[in-house]
Amino acid sequence: MTTDPIETLDADPLGLAPQVSRELRPCASYTLRVNGFERPVTDAWIGESLLYVLRERLGLAGAKDGCEQGECGACSVQVDGQLVAGCLVPAALAADSEINTVEGLSSGGGASDVQQALAASGAVQCGYCTPGLAMAVHDLLQRNHRPTEVEARQALCGNLCRCTGYRGVLAAVQTVADARAQEAEEAEAAVAAAAVAEEAPAEQPAAPAAEAAPTEAPAAVEPEPAVEPPVYADADAWIEHVPQPPAEPAPVPAQAPAPAEQPYGDGAGAYDTGVYDTSALTAAQPSIPAQAVDDQVYYQPQGYPEQPYQATPAHGTYVPTGYPDGHQQQNGYDTGYDAPVYEPTPAHGTPLPGTAHDGTPPHGTPYADPHPHGAPAEGGAPAGVPYGATPAHGIRLPEDDHAS
Amino acid sequence: MLPASLDEAVDALAAAPAAVPVAGATDLMEAVNAGRLRPAALVGLGRITELRGWRYEDGGTAVLGAGLTHARMDRPDFAALIPALADAARTAGPPQVRNVGTLGGNIVTAAPAGDTLPVLTALEATVTLARSGGTREVPVSHLLTGLDPVRPGELLTWVRVPLLHAPQVFLKATGRSGPARATASVALVLDPARRAVRCAVGAVAPVPLRPLEAEAWVAGCIDWDGSREIDPVATAAFGEYVAAACVPDNYGAEGAWEAVTEGPTAAAVRLRRTVSVLARRALGRALK
Repeated sequence: MTTDPIETLDADPLGLAPQVSRELRPCASYTLRVNGFERPVTDAWIGESLLYVLRERLGLAGAKDGCEQGECGACSVQVDGQLVAGCLVPAALAADSEINTVEGLSSGGGASDVQQALAASGAVQCGYCTPGLAMAVHDLLQRNHRPTEVEARQALCGNLCRCTGYRGVLAAVQTVADARAQEAEEAEAAVAAAAVAEEAPAEQPAAPAAEAAPTEAPAAVEPEPAVEPPVYADADAWIEHVPQPPAEPAPVPAQAPAPAEQPYGDGAGAYDTGVYDTSALTAAQPSIPAQAVDDQVYYQPQGYPEQPYQATPAHGTYVPTGYPDGHQQQNGYDTGYDAPVYEPTPAHGTPLPGTAHDGTPPHGTPYADPHPHGAPAEGGAPAGVPYGATPAHGIRLPEDDHAS
Repeated sequence: MLPASLDEAVDALAAAPAAVPVAGATDLMEAVNAGRLRPAALVGLGRITELRGWRYEDGGTAVLGAGLTHARMDRPDFAALIPALADAARTAGPPQVRNVGTLGGNIVTAAPAGDTLPVLTALEATVTLARSGGTREVPVSHLLTGLDPVRPGELLTWVRVPLLHAPQVFLKATGRSGPARATASVALVLDPARRAVRCAVGAVAPVPLRPLEAEAWVAGCIDWDGSREIDPVATAAFGEYVAAACVPDNYGAEGAWEAVTEGPTAAAVRLRRTVSVLARRALGRALK
């Protein structure tokens, strides 16, 4: 770290600015090693935090600026393998440290298993805390391969999330831990199998074992591309992902199994709109006829391509339902089975035949007199009609007698 | 600049007395980010590995490096040595802060709610201040109260803590269950060799407070030769005694120092209840 003064400003005729600036704003130039890339920083004020330098000077906007006090954890990054709050590290003093940011998690081109598990388990709502949480979970699972829930909670106690309530994050921790343990087991089994195979034919090099060994530590090793650093470490991946047709839903977890509790759908496409490509949609489905509503329209469940879905029938339309398997299907409803005849739903307020209930009256219809024999003197509900109407406030109900 | 050894750091500070020595920077950068501090220069202490460990000295003393991080003090080997300091380090903050925040920084910052400070006060630790060409030893309480402050160009290097081989307790009351600043904290250590109980109350005043009379009284109530038992009534009385000694009647009143109130303020009553519970529990756990 070298301290050098700001260049003399030609626009300053009195020559005062450099003096003032040098005293008030000592600057330094240094090189940060971020995600394996050397990133030079020139003429930065020595009071700039690592978070500021990463975001504003190096364009790595993954770490978020929440509180600038180390309370929220949104700026969590790793410096020399330790999780720190980026806002509390002077960038000039992190000059020869190894810095890992959330951009480095996805340096392989796609989201890491931690990020996929966070997305899949509903741990992301507004997303502001998510980069910090991803780094915290990554750091936790580097140090502790099988964290208990208490250990996970303690490790994540420095990351505040106002949206999700943390349950999704804890589920993601367990998901990733389970997936990695399974991978490690499979790798061990592969090693054992290789050893057995090695014993049987005496001449067999240890190649399978050497192949299986690296998978034992799945996430610790991140590949370092030898190309020039792009502005964003995963910028190439973004460009690749933009024109993808929806055949490949992008953030669906590949190896991470779905967590135990998953509130919304199966996660694989329920809310994952991915990338829109309407041409693919129109190619797969024939266009809807213009007068589809006027034609004889049948509800046709998806999966029967000879009778494509045409339109939603109007309310009250007779919708035949058939048993799709085991019966011939000719016109969509002629199933060879006497389907029960459905009648259109009657309009609101229509009395149903054969029931005592005679329909909800239209809005605005006055209620029938709840007290056909005259209201009781004290205004309470008459005996035998316990809930005829809500009594006014302050009126004592008959069952309140014991409470006085 | 990032000196790699203690001598280099001390020389750098002598060359630029306005430079700020920076270890974990968690308190420094908070002030810088808020615009309260504009450092003229920084001397990073993170590369001085000799300050990041501890050693033992004759006479039952551990010499702790000022660069010991809270995360390091939380580990079991250190907790076996000075359990109260490990407890204080464990609750000092979130992992992001404990990974870099150091013991020396906690002392030099001297924040009212600094968690290691009551423990060091109760242990009657002394610190070593190094400058270019010499060192001096200062009791940590003198440093914190400003009796003998750190002079320009000096660097806090070592913290000398007696190894008591007796129960030690650190308890802390916070506003939430996660890591938070203490509203009150109590450190209590037993010193069987001197038959003394030493107690310090943190976060209720700008510096940790020692209720000396309460300590002397309760030390007389303990059966030191036997099973170190104490009457529960005496434990409760000790809590009240500590609270009354450490929280003044006019706590939280307008013009706090000179204010004269009729009886304790509501804030004082509340804080005394907290402190008395903490002190009672601390003594009970130490003697269990």
